[in-house]
Amino acid sequence: MPANGRFSPVTGRYVTIDLEDPDLGGEYKVFFLENGEGRPLVCQHTAGCHNHQWRGLLEDPDITRSHRVIAYDLPRHGKSDPPNDREWWKEEYRLTADFFTKFVVALCDALELEDPIFMGSSFGGNVALQLAWRYPDRFGAVIPVEAADYSPGFFLDWWQHPHANAAQVCASGTWDLMAPQSPDQERWKTWFYYTQGSEAFRGDLSFYSVDHDLRDKLEEIDGERCPVIMMTGTYDYLTTPEMTAATAARIKGAEFIEMQDIGHFPMSENYPVFKGYLEQALQRIEERIGATVSGQR
Amino acid sequence: MPTPEAWAESFTEATNGDAEIGAHGKYYSCSYMLDMQERKLIVDMHRGRVENINLDVQPLDAYEFALRAPADTWRGMGEPVPKPMYHGIWAAAFRKNLSMEGDLLVLMQNLRCFTRQIEILRETGVPV
Repeated sequence: MPANGRFSPVTGRYVTIDLEDPDLGGEYKVFFLENGEGRPLVCQHTAGCHNHQWRGLLEDPDITRSHRVIAYDLPRHGKSDPPNDREWWKEEYRLTADFFTKFVVALCDALELEDPIFMGSSFGGNVALQLAWRYPDRFGAVIPVEAADYSPGFFLDWWQHPHANAAQVCASGTWDLMAPQSPDQERWKTWFYYTQGSEAFRGDLSFYSVDHDLRDKLEEIDGERCPVIMMTGTYDYLTTPEMTAATAARIKGAEFIEMQDIGHFPMSENYPVFKGYLEQALQRIEERIGATVSGQR
Repeated sequence: MPTPEAWAESFTEATNGDAEIGAHGKYYSCSYMLDMQERKLIVDMHRGRVENINLDVQPLDAYEFALRAPADTWRGMGEPVPKPMYHGIWAAAFRKNLSMEGDLLVLMQNLRCFTRQIEILRETGVPV
């Protein structure tokens, strides 16, 4: 250990996977961060962002001693490139539920994860619901954070308007999604991440606000077969606690945890507060599907 | 509640002394209306500083964009720690009764500094 440096236990790797999809298929080189041992906990960042939103969780020994935490960058985000074999620059990017769910399953297959818990926030929370509906046997449980059956209103051209500074529009346009109680240092890191993803943000929100619509499918999700533990912060104006509670109430076996004084990016804007609620969710999952698999990689 | 004149003075002072707007407001120039139902006012910004606050708005006075909401909504936004859904213009627009009108491109072009300036209301309160 150098005298003036401190290494993190978190490591990063790339894995390349092939995906068949009529709209977005191709060869994808995917970057992920990981730390810990035990049951895999696969973490999806929010739209237009990247895996540093999970920085607090990735370095939390209280979680990583019993979970292999994996936080990846969705293709076109962070260090995960757009597809290697498509002329993607000639296409309008619009993320779909079909591609998003196929990608998550393909990544879990490539990493040979057994009974992983999938957790995502915002559009990651919505895709957690989609996974529970489409692939209930592939996941031990899902934790949809800041999610609902339907979340209209955020697929906006402002995110990419050529006459405005897209980086600042995306970052300051999502500022109000965080709670005023969250620490400035953490909120500004989240803001900073949002300056980096404006090209993907609008297309991500095509999934979030348009393609994702489970209003007439919630009864088909079996939350006893694949436990669904939903969590939403009181300062989330896109998917309010009331919206999440109403969604959870229609899913067989689902549970809802309301998080006080936190917003739409809870793991990133105020990890210590989020952690308390996450531990509740993991405890409930452990009670329902069995003890974590110690040491499994 | 501060008098309108006292509010305008404190809002001007807080804006012009704000570190974030001072660091990033070199091109923050625009004019906007805050319509608080019981009171309307127009703020003229020039290069990150308040140039003028018009507290006696007349029918043909010009501005580029407007935020309109009932006085109670503005009072909520002017609390030191706003309650949920009063904690910003997007939150209040999605879940309360704030509307954004006029040339919204100007709002988007200045969104970072404008967002910070609206948060200054938590320090100064609102004149309604």
